Amino acid sequence: MSKTINIARYNPQTDSRPQLQAFQVESDNSTSVLDALLQVQQQDPSLGFRWSCRMAICGSCGVMVNGIPKLGCKTFLRDYPDELTVSALAHFNVEKDLIVDMQPFLTHLAAVKPYLINDDQSSQPHRQTPAQLAKYQQFANCINCGLCYSACPQFGLNPEFLGPAAITLAQRYNLDSRDAGKTARMPELNSKNGVWGCTFVGFCSEVCPKKVDPAAAVNQGKVASAGDFIISMFKP
Amino acid sequence: MNLKKPGSSKPEPGSYQPVMPRNWWLQHRYFQIYMLREATVLPLLFFIGCLLYGLYCLSLGETQWQHWLAFMAQPWVVLLNLLAFSASLFHAKTFFELFPRVMPLAPPGLMIAGQWLATLLVATGLVLLLGGWL
Amino acid sequence: MQQLQQDIIVVGGGGAGLRAAIAAAETSPTLQVALLSKVYPMRSHTVAAEGGAAAVTLEQDSLAAHFQDTVSGSDWLAEQDVVEYFVKHAYQELVQLERWGCPWSRKADGSIQVRRFGGMKTERTWFAADKTGFHILHTLFQTSLKYPTITRFDEYFVIDLLVVEQQIAGVLAICFSTGELVQILGKAVILATGGAGRVFHYNTNGGIVTGDGMALAYRHGVALRDMEFVQYHPTGLPGSGILITEACRGEGGILLNKDGYRYLQDYGLGPETPAGQPKNKYMELGPRDKLSQAFWQQQQRGLTADYHGHAVVYLDLRHLGEAHLASRLPFICELAKSYVNIDPATAPIPIRPAVHYTMGGILTDINCQTSISGLFAVGECASVGLHGANRLGSNSLSELLVFGKVAGEQAAARVQKMSLAPVSAVAAQCQHQQTYISSLFADSCDDTVHAIRTELTLAMEQGCGIYRDNAGLQTCLSTLQALKIRYQQLKVTDNSKAYNSALLQHLELGFGLDVADTICRSALARTESRGAHQRLDEGMTQRNDSDFLKHSLAICQPDGTAAISWQSVTITSLPPAERHYGAKGSGSAGSSV
Repeated sequence: MSKTINIARYNPQTDSRPQLQAFQVESDNSTSVLDALLQVQQQDPSLGFRWSCRMAICGSCGVMVNGIPKLGCKTFLRDYPDELTVSALAHFNVEKDLIVDMQPFLTHLAAVKPYLINDDQSSQPHRQTPAQLAKYQQFANCINCGLCYSACPQFGLNPEFLGPAAITLAQRYNLDSRDAGKTARMPELNSKNGVWGCTFVGFCSEVCPKKVDPAAAVNQGKVASAGDFIISMFKP
Repeated sequence: MNLKKPGSSKPEPGSYQPVMPRNWWLQHRYFQIYMLREATVLPLLFFIGCLLYGLYCLSLGETQWQHWLAFMAQPWVVLLNLLAFSASLFHAKTFFELFPRVMPLAPPGLMIAGQWLATLLVATGLVLLLGGWL
Repeated sequence: MQQLQQDIIVVGGGGAGLRAAIAAAETSPTLQVALLSKVYPMRSHTVAAEGGAAAVTLEQDSLAAHFQDTVSGSDWLAEQDVVEYFVKHAYQELVQLERWGCPWSRKADGSIQVRRFGGMKTERTWFAADKTGFHILHTLFQTSLKYPTITRFDEYFVIDLLVVEQQIAGVLAICFSTGELVQILGKAVILATGGAGRVFHYNTNGGIVTGDGMALAYRHGVALRDMEFVQYHPTGLPGSGILITEACRGEGGILLNKDGYRYLQDYGLGPETPAGQPKNKYMELGPRDKLSQAFWQQQQRGLTADYHGHAVVYLDLRHLGEAHLASRLPFICELAKSYVNIDPATAPIPIRPAVHYTMGGILTDINCQTSISGLFAVGECASVGLHGANRLGSNSLSELLVFGKVAGEQAAARVQKMSLAPVSAVAAQCQHQQTYISSLFADSCDDTVHAIRTELTLAMEQGCGIYRDNAGLQTCLSTLQALKIRYQQLKVTDNSKAYNSALLQHLELGFGLDVADTICRSALARTESRGAHQRLDEGMTQRNDSDFLKHSLAICQPDGTAAISWQSVTITSLPPAERHYGAKGSGSAGSSV
């Protein structure tokens, strides 16, 4: 059957703001929003959007579907009425059509030192029990799609806020039994754009396509940050 | 690692910078419920005001205390306090559900049940204590 | 045109590119390393690898056993010195990744857990649930952030290599966000651009896997080796081709035809092993080429089922139980539910073979060096000689790491004694490319990238599929020639600057057409059957060592088509023998320990 997909188009050379444009696409039980966009691109090759793996693991194809952040490849037209609206991810600068500037997101990721920090020079693997692995495993499943940033009003209001994915990544390494870098990461988390920027709206976890639960990570970060503060009070 | 991208530090010329509308929290149901949760503070403020006023009246003596009791019995005050009570229950519900995610100590269902049980016990204890049965 | 200077330029931000960049940065902290990628590095297709990475780990295992599995798996077309180096270094590379934070799955005592994989005689595949590639890629990407000398050029698309007198001088790239051409001079270039699975219609690959790097090198006269060997993964989802990992079978999943019969026992892989008790190199744990060929045979006999117009067989995981599936194969459960609406705990998954991997690629020596001095290649885009005629699952993730490191170190060693080529030496080449790009734009064009690409991929599927014959290959070749002519007339009708994906797709299609030509011509020239290359023509259905124990080399002719020549295979310790799996395999030289 045929459905209408309204796409927020934006060409930086000619437009001052995004404008909706309607397209007709053929849809069956398995047609994803990404499939629909690929169909539209056949009608209009100038349509810009990112995609690659089409199996919800590369994190490229995040868009707003009827105002909710979604992965295009994991959202199906069968779940929508005859008409739906697709626009660029919220809270990021729009570069062209559905393509946003992901740079702030990457800068925030890099800011939390997302790698193992330790002095250990051994050439043997660490021991890490399944229980120790389970402590951070869920937070290591983030695919960097950025949907949580589009769901976070605090990031929308303050782009300097580290945001859900970056704090989750910090937490992922802080909870790793092989890591000794928590003290290096805490200043960033304790700062005014760190964990305390979060008001626990919780929508980030709602939209996360990989069930990473960034809201939990951020609020675990608050507990860690508070602990850090209390310890610092008792230090000379 | 460095990053080479023309104009990466500031928005590229021609990129569209979206602005958050003032009514962003009305945009969908999830944000509305979030704002409702935040708004539970308002009836709770009223309840705390009542309590503080009661303490103040108690310090002024018997007449004032009777006056406060009469005030508290007025239908609109009872209504507002009922509202505060349900708001606190709603807030507790959301908080109890979030807590196991932040402190995953036991299975979430068990932790939620445990918190309600603890609330019930503490509340019953307080009623018994203040009522003079203990 | 913007001009930049770097020491080492890595093209491609997947597993191999990131590993090479880190190795280069660690070798010498004074070198400027540029990492160019047409997508953000964590979008690279390494991310989709599911099953695991192989290295000799258990006490009862040996380097000789991994060597033998790989060589016999390759149908004796692997370079045996390369395989020796690989099996020796794989373990340390996986440990290195562990030390960088990769969340490998563990045993109860905290040591590394290994799982079974097809064609391997014992458990030696390290895994991180069923998202091994994802975790490897993100670990490498996050670790790369530690090195201040690595400069990332995200969303830069390389359109040409700059070569001066058979020495690499740099690359010419389009900055996707601005549409501007950027000339980057460097003393060494490492190509790590991945495979070319997207030249086939049904494939497990992401949209970015278009063979760019192979064509870049090929157009400068570097040979593409063993291009006829294209791996069909036996278990892709019908239609989309989405990968359902071999680890499903490693964990005990079984393959059934439409009658519920475990048909693999009819194709030299039996006897039947009990469901849920997999045995290495038997039945479902046979190598990928044999399993995909068995599917084709079943389809010919009308024993496959129909799933929305696609011929399928079934992957049954039900007997593994919900809890085991949730802990070992969570991503597979998610994929099956999303894309075919099936819960693997309660119903079998419809699957069919789909193109997965290009065994062939840019010819390199054991040091990843190509025939252009200073140009290195690594990973799926390269043919270092590890996979021969058929790759064993879980060897390629280890390959990225082992040879990524080699390429990075070799490049770093080279640049310390080199200087940059003068800008004037590449000016003409850059000017030529700029003129070419400008000439691509027009207001209208009757033909489209989509139309040509669809015909290309269908022609490849028809002519260069699991089984090939002379007539089919000839038809495919003439289609390719016709498409090339159409491509020359094709124009880009979107003339915007920023994020012009129409232009990128146009250029990718050009690369794909060149790669497809080398695949088809190499397949025509190899008139025998070996590994993933199976001919149906009379007299060609068997392996023919006296004539074809050789690598094919596709070299670009002035008219843009490939000429095929041959290169001998390095054999160090394992002479060619018959390749057996199942009960037959337990006694033969090819697969005995």
